[in-house]
Amino acid sequence: MSEAAADPSLAGRSFARPRSVRRRLLWLAGTAAGIAVLVHAWQDTGASLTSLISGFHNTLNLLSRAVPPDGSVLTDSIRASILTFDTALLGTASALVLSLLLVPLAARNITPHRVAYEAARLVIGVTRAIPDFVFCLIFLVAVGLGPFSVVLAVAAHSVGVIGKLFAEAVEDMDMGPVDALRAAGASRLQVFLHAVLPGIAATLTGLALYRFDTNVRSVLYLGAIGGGGLGFLLYDSLQLFQYRQATTELAVLLVLLLVVERVSLMIRQRIV
Amino acid sequence: MLHGVDLDVWPGELTVVLGANGSGKSTLLRCAVRLLDPDAGSVVLCGAELVGARGRELREARRKAAMVFQQVLLVRRRSAVENVAYGALGELPLHRSLSSRLFPAELGERAHASLARVGLADVAWKRADTLSGGQAQRVAIARALCQRAQLVLADEPVASLDPRAAEEVLVLLGEIARVEGLAALVVLHQPELAFRYADRILGIVRGEIVFDASPASLDEHRVAALYQGSET
Repeated sequence: MSEAAADPSLAGRSFARPRSVRRRLLWLAGTAAGIAVLVHAWQDTGASLTSLISGFHNTLNLLSRAVPPDGSVLTDSIRASILTFDTALLGTASALVLSLLLVPLAARNITPHRVAYEAARLVIGVTRAIPDFVFCLIFLVAVGLGPFSVVLAVAAHSVGVIGKLFAEAVEDMDMGPVDALRAAGASRLQVFLHAVLPGIAATLTGLALYRFDTNVRSVLYLGAIGGGGLGFLLYDSLQLFQYRQATTELAVLLVLLLVVERVSLMIRQRIV
Repeated sequence: MLHGVDLDVWPGELTVVLGANGSGKSTLLRCAVRLLDPDAGSVVLCGAELVGARGRELREARRKAAMVFQQVLLVRRRSAVENVAYGALGELPLHRSLSSRLFPAELGERAHASLARVGLADVAWKRADTLSGGQAQRVAIARALCQRAQLVLADEPVASLDPRAAEEVLVLLGEIARVEGLAALVVLHQPELAFRYADRILGIVRGEIVFDASPASLDEHRVAALYQGSET
């Protein structure tokens, strides 16, 4: 028998931390509130098991009309998938450049001034808060229908997301090399280029690739509202009940997503 | 925290600072290059006043001092020779410093020569994060040489090294101070190393210099008292 078990004052002790009555009541109230919110969400969205069961029959019907795939749209689908890829690439690359310009201001540990920090954080906060869908609606009006409006929307929203993640990566980095170069008389830009960027290069690459991966998916649904590309083709086919064409487009979409994910992973593993 | 520290260090001299944890040794070094701002007083580095200096003026002044830190602060993903060349970044015009590929050829030669001076010519192209602790600390000293600094500030440079590597680094620092005519101010935690390699030993207790003497004239008990906080 162990020494602790032999101590009678420790008898009956468990791993659960003792809680006061007030804490127990608070916990119960919190749980009840959580359940109430979920019930409200169920009612608000019109969720129903009956619809789910009847919907299953419709889905089977749709699937039976979706095979075999229509090969006649394969070339158009591949061309559209390349457009989708290009749109995501240009949007992500633009966001990357803009974020790198913001990071020296938006990271607390290297910013030259409090005002610059607040201004950069405001830009990041606003662009991150506005969804790419809303940006797309704005840019569709500004530059018209087509993939360029999606490029702008993806870039604008990604500046916020990437900028925040990059700034946090800089704030978490080892400041040693930064101090060493500062102590040697290097300027802020020189310190950023030669100590900050190499210090977080692997993290930046990983984050940028992950964002690109996400943006490919965003471009698909933004394409459906007028941005073009594979998302638009898929939406068009479903609207016109051309389910066999939609199957081909979905297959191309799946290949595109898998290729992007695989290549991203390979690059990340190589760099990190 | 430092109080009323009045200290001159001279070319060709290796000065060791001893003191207990929290006595202000690292603060002293960081204030010397204004990585920390003193609340009051003056920091004159090779004739230039650092307190109140800003921008280019501050950078110019900092170029005269090189820091070798407790943890080796090299840019991990860059080669040893690039890290050495970074010591001279402050003297490069902006367009020459955007990438190490744009650094002047003269700087490349100087960086290689500095590495050779610390006996590491053969690891020039190795990435910094593949070097041993002793090698990395010597690369940091080579960076100070490449910087053409007049003062080397070393904050516990041998703290993470094995005894042999620690001795190599201290021998190198002393040699460089004497041969290159640099002033070296080195914070150590090992009094026995201080007695062996220093030209001068400073003792700090609670931010005040309590003795400043040559190793020959110092009593070992007086040094030991530093670590009990009883030195007066």
